Amino acid sequence: MNQEFLALNSKQAAVRIRNTGIEAVRVRDIINKGVRVYKDGKIGIAGSIGDVPDSVLLDNAIDNLSAGIEYPYSLSGNKTDHRDYTAGLMSQEELLGHAESVLDILRREYADFDFSETMSFNEVVLHMHNTEGLDLKHKDAYFSLGLVLKEKKSANLMDGSLSYRGRRFNPEKFWAFNRLFLEANRRRVELPEGDILPVFTLGSLAVGFLTDNLNGERYATGSSLFSGKIGRQLFNEKITLEQNRDPRLANQAFFDMEGVVMPDDRCVMIENGKLINVFTDKRNAALYNLPHTGSASGDIDGIPELAGAPLRFRTDSRNLEEALDGRKAVFVWITSGGDFTHDGTFAAPVQVSFLFDGERLIGKLPEFTIRSHLNKMLGDDYIGTFDNACLYYSDFPTQLQGCYMTIAR
Amino acid sequence: MFEYPEGLYVDVRIEEYNYTTISFKKNTLQEQKVRENKGAFIRVFDGQRWYYASITDLDNIQAHIDALAKMAVPNPRILEHPIVKAFEINRDTVIRYDKQSIAGIPVQEKQALLEEFISLMSDPAIVHHASYYSDERAVKSIYSSKGTKVTFDKQNCGIFLSLDLVCGDNRDRMAVVKGDVFFENLKDTKDYFAAEIEKNIQYTRDAKPVTPGEYPVLLSPLAAGIFTHESFGHKSESDFMVGDEAMMAEWPLEKTVGLELLNIVDDGMYPGAGYTPYDDEGTGAKKTYLIAKGKLTGRLHSAATAAQLAEPLTGNARAMSFAFEPIVRMTTTYIEKGDRPLSGILAEMDRGIFVDTVNHGSGMSTFTMAPARAYLIENGRITQPVKISVITGNVFATLAEVDAVSAEFEMHTFGGGCGKMEQQGLPVGFGGPYTRVRKLNVQ
Repeated sequence: MNQEFLALNSKQAAVRIRNTGIEAVRVRDIINKGVRVYKDGKIGIAGSIGDVPDSVLLDNAIDNLSAGIEYPYSLSGNKTDHRDYTAGLMSQEELLGHAESVLDILRREYADFDFSETMSFNEVVLHMHNTEGLDLKHKDAYFSLGLVLKEKKSANLMDGSLSYRGRRFNPEKFWAFNRLFLEANRRRVELPEGDILPVFTLGSLAVGFLTDNLNGERYATGSSLFSGKIGRQLFNEKITLEQNRDPRLANQAFFDMEGVVMPDDRCVMIENGKLINVFTDKRNAALYNLPHTGSASGDIDGIPELAGAPLRFRTDSRNLEEALDGRKAVFVWITSGGDFTHDGTFAAPVQVSFLFDGERLIGKLPEFTIRSHLNKMLGDDYIGTFDNACLYYSDFPTQLQGCYMTIAR
Repeated sequence: MFEYPEGLYVDVRIEEYNYTTISFKKNTLQEQKVRENKGAFIRVFDGQRWYYASITDLDNIQAHIDALAKMAVPNPRILEHPIVKAFEINRDTVIRYDKQSIAGIPVQEKQALLEEFISLMSDPAIVHHASYYSDERAVKSIYSSKGTKVTFDKQNCGIFLSLDLVCGDNRDRMAVVKGDVFFENLKDTKDYFAAEIEKNIQYTRDAKPVTPGEYPVLLSPLAAGIFTHESFGHKSESDFMVGDEAMMAEWPLEKTVGLELLNIVDDGMYPGAGYTPYDDEGTGAKKTYLIAKGKLTGRLHSAATAAQLAEPLTGNARAMSFAFEPIVRMTTTYIEKGDRPLSGILAEMDRGIFVDTVNHGSGMSTFTMAPARAYLIENGRITQPVKISVITGNVFATLAEVDAVSAEFEMHTFGGGCGKMEQQGLPVGFGGPYTRVRKLNVQ
């Protein structure tokens, strides 16, 4: 009988902020454990929140074999890979110091706004090992700042946000960007003329819909918009989309929940606009005769399942100002509540956005709605995916994506 | 039970969870999970700042209290602090569900029930399906240095079916969900599931893109619940108002915000997802009229916001789990029913949209609702299914646009998860009557 052990240790020190002042300090140290046993093509699972001994969980997992859950797939094994992406730790005192410093500037220079929510320092260790010689460990630590911005003269619940996430925190860089950003929040501007405008976002508006439709199970059973289209040109030739678990790009482990590590932590789904792959775990790859892409997700104490995959566009365009060619664009900061219909039609209200010249956020725009269709957003109306060199909200390499969209004022 | 440090306010919330999840993909069992978890959240207050710890080693609660106390500055007048004064002192045990505890039902029985529902999904238009049973029983105990000592239980269970549908060129993913506080009652829901599955197939087969524009919209009880929660409920959470003069000026109590027919309630005693006889700082649940006869009459409070705004406690300080501190949240929020039959309201509508089921909603300055099933209303009848990406309305304006509420009323007390900042997926109850809004933007 094979045995597999997973443990996720999450530590957090957080400063809770209300009305631009420190309201509370919170500490958290939680361990989640999972144990899986494999016997005669069946899997049994057990788990806990808290440090329950492995021997107890092992007995519970053996009991769970009686449920008869089929798992006739070979375990990942014979691989040791320990990676530590921690760039430095931040003590509780240092965290409080950063919080007080940021809030002091906000109170003095931006008293027309109110800021609330959280700054935190987070440490994560995810360890997975089994009796087949698999031993994977991912260790990381990062600072996170997420403040809701509220204009004091406004009766809205919120009017924007300040955000930052990174393994390091550089206050000089943070303020160099956020002073301009907060000035842009103060400056009201009008939407440019025209019903169709270039619209830019942090990352891609389409990534959630693509995740749903590139799911191998949905592809194989016929309910994906892309079913039967592997090998076909779907989108603009510039577009390459990959499953990307590279921890240098985001806070994410380099392995999936079946202990699979892909070469270079990547797997291409769409290449030059053509559908190459859909994402699969071991079960769905075997069931539907699809290439296995190492995409199992699931709870620490759960059965591996196929739900989502960390999709990321490859940067395909270099010069944002040149792409805009002197036109002004809309930069969407917050859009909440919009959606795609299942045929790919998209509409979303834009709650917070800015006029954007490719380098700077010029001023804050009124609310409006954006409309398009997936095939247009990633087809003829696609502008490009650019490395983000102008908006400092993370020390991870982030991207901006643009396409032309219909604006309903 | 605990030794509380001098000069500080302390409360301890201990939570014990027992839950089950079972899932199938088509006829193949995917997961059968039974878990028991325990944890605690500790708060220490010195009058200036709060200090929190979330822990799972329950044998060391005292050590964590002492560690937090060392970070605080003892305050000999802590009992006179307005927030501390506002805390109720309650001593009570409210164990309602031990005789019909979900935790006592064998997992095999739960699985057998779920398997009965799988047979409902045999239509060839259903190209794939997944079925889920989930339940949770929680026992919470709250202790405070002021003397509160309350223990209560709550439970909920439900079935969720996810359908991948293909009808010609039309595809959709639809869901049917139903829950109850008692396992036995789930056994009577097969007809409901069968009817909803059939409606989803018909919708997927016949739905056509909507012509975008402004429409009168008739909301089902489910949609009315989401509308109430997103368009107004969050606005009534008073942590958004503390220190916010603009919001206080916009939403003063007694302001008329709707027609006389509009009454909106938040009730922590309503059974189901939002049931919270004591909130997570030990305040007893209240039935709070947020709007009565179209006038703003109340707000939702924690002890801190009640003290800061000099308003009464409402029992709405809730945390998603022992990993978080309580913040102001809704419990079960709904529009009270009216006295008009649905048929009469519908008959008045020459043209409009009927929103039957909803994928998700959100509420900032604009509230949004992404319908799963929606239909045209033509000449007083519900007719053509239409695909809608999103329905939007201005939060400040839409309440005044509610011009009819039906005598028919339904409550949904399972599957509703509310997100607020870092705490996502808090169970809440929602529902209401069929509710007509004179105009909303449909895309």
